Amino acid sequence: MMYSSRPWVLAAAAMAVLVSGATAAERARADVSCQPGTKTLQYDCAIKLTNARTGAPLTKVDLTVGADMPSMPMAHNVRPVKATPTEEPGTYRATIELEMHGDWALQLNLAGELRDRVIKTMRFEGDRAVQSSPKTPSRHKH
Amino acid sequence: MDDYVIGVLSNIGVISFIALSAYLLLLTGEISFGQQAFFAIGAYAAGIATALWGWPLAAGLAWGAATGAAAAILVGVPTLRLHGLYFAIATLAFAEMVRLLFELFSYQVVVDGEFIGPNGADGFRGIRYIFENDIGPLRFLLVIYGLLAATLAAFMLIERSRLGIIFRMIGEDEVLAETNGIAVARHKVLAAGLAGAVAGIGGGLYAHLTTYVEPRIFDVMLGVHSLAYGLIGGLGTAFGPLLGVLIDIGLLESIRMFAGYRMIIFGGLVALLLIVRPRGLLDEIAVHRIRKAWPRILAAGERQTLHLRRPQ
Repeated sequence: MMYSSRPWVLAAAAMAVLVSGATAAERARADVSCQPGTKTLQYDCAIKLTNARTGAPLTKVDLTVGADMPSMPMAHNVRPVKATPTEEPGTYRATIELEMHGDWALQLNLAGELRDRVIKTMRFEGDRAVQSSPKTPSRHKH
Repeated sequence: MDDYVIGVLSNIGVISFIALSAYLLLLTGEISFGQQAFFAIGAYAAGIATALWGWPLAAGLAWGAATGAAAAILVGVPTLRLHGLYFAIATLAFAEMVRLLFELFSYQVVVDGEFIGPNGADGFRGIRYIFENDIGPLRFLLVIYGLLAATLAAFMLIERSRLGIIFRMIGEDEVLAETNGIAVARHKVLAAGLAGAVAGIGGGLYAHLTTYVEPRIFDVMLGVHSLAYGLIGGLGTAFGPLLGVLIDIGLLESIRMFAGYRMIIFGGLVALLLIVRPRGLLDEIAVHRIRKAWPRILAAGERQTLHLRRPQ
């Protein structure tokens, strides 16, 4: 009788994930600016990626851009879209279509040259999109 | 498997923990609008443990579960005398208090030349354990579902044990349970602690999955959803809340063409379902019928197999 060892391999892989210690890895840094697109709730985003340690532009990464509304996690989100590299080294473009205006956490997923995830919180308000500045209270204070 | 599918499956797995957490309290007859607080505490605790203190993921998740359980017991003791609406309001108030505390909580250390850690309303970025250890999305999905299977197995064991019967008995009639010699207070605190631990594990996994948390994520919306999963899926078995999550996230993903309106559609469907089946799809009667029919289905399957194997 043949027994498959696959479940044990998967279980061993899961255990290895749980018990391994942290190791240093290269990080990415991203600067994002978004402009309203041709359609309502559509935004064209320019993303500049650099290596956080060296400052060198990341030219050989596969970048996908998704978005999630922090106030409604997993309920309102944008299906990730693939970003395309531009002529400027380390700069990519992606067009996202939101479900509504408001605060969104852009999820930049990098694969290839460097594997990382960078989160950028931005406020999309009709004709503009601004990056949420640190220490900005999320609620109105009275 | 496509990264998008893995992402959706990961979300379903992670959110199942908070659904199971709310379900455990529903078994004891309590409606909690505050399970998102323990999910948040677990997320921050586990994130701090791995990103700031350099702990392995297992230790981080265990720490998240422990802090979630401790906080739940801390809330469970003073709210023991509260029932129904009063308990619901107390748990909601606690959850909002926790969320506001995280808006003020700042604890950052320099890791690899960068400030990492919770930074009030700006959130907690850089929970990069899966990237630092080169753990792919599929491997992390395996971790999520491995832990979910273990949690579900523990729930099944509890439900078949005396403890599970006591929980349901308290949920049916607390006074009757007390007159039958059940230590109601002790069991309610135990249920709250276990529910807090389950939510804490879910929070820890969520923080590592998204690499980022902020107080707004743990809004009342998450609490309402966690409660709705059990009520939609059914209170007859621990598979009920999982079915609720599957319907919620699966349905939301399948009606993407309705964009921002899909939550309204989903809300309407939930209301309709609760009118038709007040204790959810897999309620006690449905579970009883499935259990009764199961041996017959298995026997029919065996007969079919034997018939197919028999030489013609």
